[in-house]
Amino acid sequence: MSTMDAEPYGPRHYALAAAGLLIAGLYLFPVYWMYASSLKASFELNATKPTLLPQAPTFAAYAWIFVRENVGRYMTNSVIIASAVTALTLLLATGAAYSLSRFRTLWMDAVLVGIMVSQVLPPALLATPMFVIFKQLSLVNTQIAVILATATKTLPFAVIMLRTTFAQIPTELEEAARVDGCNRVSAFLRVSLPLARAGYVVVGTLVFLQAYGEFVYPVSLVNRNELQPATVGLYGFVGADYSDWGNAMAFASVIVTPVVLIFVALQRRIISGLTAGALK
Amino acid sequence: MSKALPNYGSSRPVSRPLEGALDRLFDSRNVWSVTVAATALYLLFFVGYPILYNVIMSFQEVSVSNVGRLDRPWVGFANYQRLIGDPLFPLVVKNTIVFVSLSVILQCACGLALALFFQQRFPGSGALRGVILAGWILPPLVVGAIWKWLLASDNGVFNYALQSIGLISGPVYWLSDPSSSLLAVTLANVWFGVPFNMILLAAGLSGIPREIYEAAMIDGAGPFRRFTAMTLPMLRPTLYALVALSTIYTMRSFDVIWTMTHGGPIDSSNVFPIWSYKLSFDIFDFAGGAAASTMMLIVVFFVALIYVRSVRAEARA
Repeated sequence: MSTMDAEPYGPRHYALAAAGLLIAGLYLFPVYWMYASSLKASFELNATKPTLLPQAPTFAAYAWIFVRENVGRYMTNSVIIASAVTALTLLLATGAAYSLSRFRTLWMDAVLVGIMVSQVLPPALLATPMFVIFKQLSLVNTQIAVILATATKTLPFAVIMLRTTFAQIPTELEEAARVDGCNRVSAFLRVSLPLARAGYVVVGTLVFLQAYGEFVYPVSLVNRNELQPATVGLYGFVGADYSDWGNAMAFASVIVTPVVLIFVALQRRIISGLTAGALK
Repeated sequence: MSKALPNYGSSRPVSRPLEGALDRLFDSRNVWSVTVAATALYLLFFVGYPILYNVIMSFQEVSVSNVGRLDRPWVGFANYQRLIGDPLFPLVVKNTIVFVSLSVILQCACGLALALFFQQRFPGSGALRGVILAGWILPPLVVGAIWKWLLASDNGVFNYALQSIGLISGPVYWLSDPSSSLLAVTLANVWFGVPFNMILLAAGLSGIPREIYEAAMIDGAGPFRRFTAMTLPMLRPTLYALVALSTIYTMRSFDVIWTMTHGGPIDSSNVFPIWSYKLSFDIFDFAGGAAASTMMLIVVFFVALIYVRSVRAEARA
């Protein structure tokens, strides 16, 4: 059996592929159902026998949520918040991740353990004291509060992941640059940072997506609707007893589509980066 | 030769003293210590301080009027006693244990099954496994919204599917029936977490050398025996790290439950993060919310220590 690697695919392989396709299809059915429901008219959504494909596809739900629910404004806020969180996180994480990958001292180890532990704190737990802190800083009801709070969640993650990335870059390359007259900082900027590009794409993407999906901090720190991200907008829509599922799923589809597109574009890199970063 | 010799970098510090000083500064480790300190200070201020604040608040009497000041009356363990004496306490503890343990076990088992399946050689195996990861990358609030619709009692596709294959005779009120709501939110959470488990277990599996399987097959070990005697033991470090990590992630999950059931009906799907948040933000019992979250913090902290230890052990191996 072990020599099969070189053999061409046989019927058994195509049977396995069919089973694999079925498994992936079943798993992703909820996502499909969201899109399918968003295209159905209400008579079809309320039919006793649900249809797998929308029989009379309509974009009415999208028109409704863009005009009546202001989904465009919510999405703009999400992108603003997530971009700012990503920039802040990568800026703060870079030096720390690099140092933690290069210099092993007792207090660096202590910082690393501290960062790992801070990664695990539930936002719901920190929401009240965060609210108080931002109230004292007069930042309640600003997106800055949401950005600063969300970065506490993404920063430890980014440090841990980028640390793995830098650890994989051989120190010899920096030493060679230093022999050629670079100092530590310029050796880092000219040699290590460019080599860490792929890691930055993965970490930056995952940080962006985490920040984009954040809900607890914006809902607890901001009570002005016009500043809220799309997650809070969707919650206001489906949180209570809700039955207009066509509009709700159109709202969810608008939120999810950019995520899906980013994922499709970077899928391979995300998977390899994730496996390396989370376990090492 | 009138032309000057090319100017190599080594001559710079002599000709320009300021640049030389900067060069020495940028060549010392101090500059890196500053970057670590900046990150550490950020986390201390925005994570460490809130935690400390939370712990302090849990020993005080807190009202809406004094929530922003630290000079509040101290009440010792009164908030904790009040919570533990609350009839909700045993229910929330039970719900949390059921939700976390079921989620972790099912996510890990399904993740392992999928990782093993997609490890086989067939066309598109890697791509299909990758596609499944899409579920994990969705915002948790959206996952909650989708599952709320899938499990809706009127016109929900889940009820329709179960009825058409004859498993149930009438619609089940998954989210509004106290006997099924916890199961329903657990199901959604398992769906959400399976891809992460699958991807990490697949990485663990790929680290097992194929030669040992070949040797075992020559010795006549069947698939079951190869799995229990070789795959599982060699996956152990990955499994430890993964179980710790999914326990932590599940213990902090909030959005999915909050969207689907709000912890209800009649607290049947209420778990610690929901309880703590509701105490603070729904009924403004900030001290109770702080005490609930501090209790949870202690548990999460111990799980996190196990995780850190297992990751460090693996990094050394």
